[in-house]
Amino acid sequence: MTALARRAFQPGELRRRAAAGDVKLWASLLILVWAAVFMIWQGLGFAISIGSVFAIWAILAVSLNLVVGYAGLLSVGHIGFFGIGAYAAAILTSNASYEQLRTEAIPTFAWPFFAALPVSIALVGVAAVVVGVVLNRFRDDIYVLVSFGFAIIAFNVFLNGRGLTRGAFGVHQIARPAIGGWELTGELEFLILLLVFLALTVAVSWLIVTSSFGRVLTAIREDEQAIEVFGYRATHYKLAIWVISAMLAGLAGALFASWTSFIDPNSFILLESVLLVSIVILGGLASIWGSLLGAMAFVLLEEGMRFLPFLPAEYVGQARQAVLGILLVLLMLFRPQGLVGRYRL
Amino acid sequence: MTTARSSVSPTRGLRRWQGRQTQLLAGALAAAAAAYVAWKIGQSPDQALQFTLNGLAVGAVYALLAMGFTLVYSTVWFFDLYYGAAAALGAYGVFYLRSHDFLGGQYAVNSPVVNTVFALVAAGVSGWVLHVVLYRRVRTRANPTVLLSLVGALAAGVGVYTGLLLANPEQLHVMLSPVVGVLVMAAAAVLLRRGMRRVSARADAWPLRALALAVAAAAGAAAGFLLAGAPDASLYLSWGVSCVLAGCVGLALYRGLYVYVRARATSPLIMLVASLGILLTISAFIVIVFRSAPRPLPEALGGSPWSVAGAAIKGFNVFAIGLALAGFAALWLLVKKTAFGKAVRAIGDDEEVSKVVGIDTTVVIAVVFFIGAVYAAVAGILTGHDTAIQPRMGLLLLMKGWIASVIGGLGNINGALIGGFALGLIEQFGIWDLAGEWKDVVAFVALIVFLSFWPKGLLARK
Repeated sequence: MTALARRAFQPGELRRRAAAGDVKLWASLLILVWAAVFMIWQGLGFAISIGSVFAIWAILAVSLNLVVGYAGLLSVGHIGFFGIGAYAAAILTSNASYEQLRTEAIPTFAWPFFAALPVSIALVGVAAVVVGVVLNRFRDDIYVLVSFGFAIIAFNVFLNGRGLTRGAFGVHQIARPAIGGWELTGELEFLILLLVFLALTVAVSWLIVTSSFGRVLTAIREDEQAIEVFGYRATHYKLAIWVISAMLAGLAGALFASWTSFIDPNSFILLESVLLVSIVILGGLASIWGSLLGAMAFVLLEEGMRFLPFLPAEYVGQARQAVLGILLVLLMLFRPQGLVGRYRL
Repeated sequence: MTTARSSVSPTRGLRRWQGRQTQLLAGALAAAAAAYVAWKIGQSPDQALQFTLNGLAVGAVYALLAMGFTLVYSTVWFFDLYYGAAAALGAYGVFYLRSHDFLGGQYAVNSPVVNTVFALVAAGVSGWVLHVVLYRRVRTRANPTVLLSLVGALAAGVGVYTGLLLANPEQLHVMLSPVVGVLVMAAAAVLLRRGMRRVSARADAWPLRALALAVAAAAGAAAGFLLAGAPDASLYLSWGVSCVLAGCVGLALYRGLYVYVRARATSPLIMLVASLGILLTISAFIVIVFRSAPRPLPEALGGSPWSVAGAAIKGFNVFAIGLALAGFAALWLLVKKTAFGKAVRAIGDDEEVSKVVGIDTTVVIAVVFFIGAVYAAVAGILTGHDTAIQPRMGLLLLMKGWIASVIGGLGNINGALIGGFALGLIEQFGIWDLAGEWKDVVAFVALIVFLSFWPKGLLARK
C-alpha cells in the first residue's frame, strides 16, 4: 500500500495518468466531485442523510465484493444476511408494547444496541455457515440460481414467520445505540458511528485481501483445481470468506435497523439484492475502492434524479433502476471489470 | 469470435452426494416423505385430488416457462434473464390492449354452426397433415419403444380428455380449442412451406421460415380462440399480439445487443449480468408506465368450475393444461423433426462448427429467442388471468421456469414438460401442512434437494 501510495503521489503521476485516459482516475474524480458539489449545494442536513444511506450501502457492497470480486462467486443472496442481521437486532432491541397495537405480538427483549449487535452478527454467521455449505456445492449459473433462492427463502421467512417478525406489520421502536449514558439520537452522531463501522469494514476487508488468505482466494477464483493441487482446501476458504462477508452484511443490517427504527420485509426484497450486485459490478470487482465508489454513485444517482424537472418524484427509484440496468449492459460490453475493478467476471 | 461457453452445462462436474450413509439417509428421507404424503392422501383423498388438480394447473404455466427457457438455454448456454421480463411484457401487453379496447371485440364468433363447420374443416385438414408429416416418418424409423410410449401417452391423453368432456359436455368447445389451434397451426405451416417453395428457390432462407412459423402460429392461435367462441375474441387477439410483441423484443435484443456482448464475453456470467441489466431496465419501465400496484386481467373462458370426482378446476386452468401440452407438441416437432430444429441442436452442441458448416447461427439463435420469449409471454398471460399481474411477477416466474427446467433436466424439452408439472405438484403437496404463502420456499427447497441428489434432473440431456 505504501509503495502504491508513494507511486500515486509522485509529481506528475496524476497528470500522466489523466492524460493517458485512465478510466479509474476519471471515474473516481467524477464521482467524488459530483458528491462534493451536491453536498455543498444542498447543505449539511442533506449531506448527513445521504452519507448515512451511502455508509450502509457501502458496508454491504464492500462485504459482497469479498465474495463476488475476490473469491469469484456471483452471489445474489446477500440481502438475506442483511435482513437476518436487521431482524435479529430489531427484535432484540425493540421495546414496543404490541398489546396496545392490537396486532400480532412478539416477545420484547429491549436489549441495548451494543449487546444485541454481536449476538445478531453471530446469528448471521451461523446462518451463513448453513447456507454456505449448501452453496459451495454449486458453480457458475447454478450458484446464482441457488443464491437467488436463499434471498427468496429469507424474504418469505421475514414476511410469513409472523410469530417472530410480525410479518408485514414490521418491528417498531428499534433502539438507537447508547455509549454509556449517551444515546445517539442525533443524525450526525449516528452518521459518525456508521462511518466508524464503514472504516472498520474497509480495514477488515483490506487486511483480508492483502493477506495470504486473500491471495489464496484470488487463486481459487482464477483456477480452483490448480490451487487444490498445492494442498489448499478451496471449499474451506470459500466457506470462510462467505461467512465473514455475511457477518459484515449482518452488521450493516443491524445498523440499518437501528438507523430507521422501523423495519418491514419490503426492505429486503430480491430487487434490493440485485441492485446491490449491480453496485458491486458497477464500482469494480476485486476492488474495495470500487465498491465505495459504486455505492456513492448509486446514492448520488437517485438524489441527482430528484432534480430532473421532467421526472415526477414517485418515479425516481424506477428511473435509477433503469439507468443502472443500462449501465450494467454497457459495462458488460465495454468494461466487464467495472469502473475501477481488477477482475473480469 | 469467442463465444460464452466456459462450461457446457453448470451441472457438469456436479456429483451426487456420495458415501453409503448419505445415500441411505437420502433414501430414508425420500421414503419417509413419500410415506407421509401417501398417508395424507389416504386420510383425505378428496383434498389430495384437489391438490393434484391445482398442481397441474400451476404446473402447466411452469412447464411452458421451462420449455422456452430450456430451449434458449440449451442453444446459447447462458441464463437469459430477459426471459422474466418477457413474461411480464406479455401480461402487460394484454392489459394495455384490453384497457384500450383493442379492436372493440368486433371479431367475436358466437355461432355454433360456424364453430362446427370450422371444427370439421380443421379436423379434415389436420388428418391430412398428420398423414403427410407423421406417417411416413413413423414407418421408416419405427423404434418400437418410442412408438409404444408415444401411443401410450396419446391414449392416456385422449382418455383423460374424453373423461373430462363426458363430465362437462357443455365445455366441449373450450376443451377442443387448443387441440384444433395446434392442428391448424401445423396445417398452415405445411401449406405456407409448400407455397413458398413454388414461389421462390430461396424459400428455405431462415427469415422466410421464421415468418411462416409466426403466421402459422397466429393462424393456429386464432383458430383455437375463435372456436372457444367466447364474445371476447378481441381478448384472444390481444394475447396473440402481445406474445408476438414480447417475442419481437427478444429477437431484437439478441440481434441488436446480445450478439455483440457475446462476441466479447469470456464467461456465461457476463451474459447473465448483461441480461440482468435488461431485466432491471424493462421492469423499471413497466412500473413507470403501469404503476407497481397489482392489477387484474379480465376473466377469460369464465363459467362455473368443472367438477372432477368432487374436486373443482376452473375451465381456464384446463385450457392452460391443454395449451402446455400443445406447446410441448409444437416445440417437440420443431426441434426434433424440422431442419430448423436440427440447426438449433447443432448450435447447442457446437456453435463454431455449426457456423463453419454454413448455418447462419445469428439468425437461428435470434429466432430461438423469439420462440422462447413467446413461451414466456404465454405463461405470463396465463398467470395474469389466473391471479393478477404486477411488475415483480417476471422475476418470480423466471425463477420458477428455471427451477422447473433444472428439476426436469436442463436442456431437455421432455424434461421441461415433466419438470414443470412436477414442480407444480411438489409446491401444492408441499404446502399441505403449511400455509399457501410458503410455496416459493417449497419450490426452492425442492430445487436444492434435486441439485444435491439428482443434479442432472429427472431426464438428463443426452
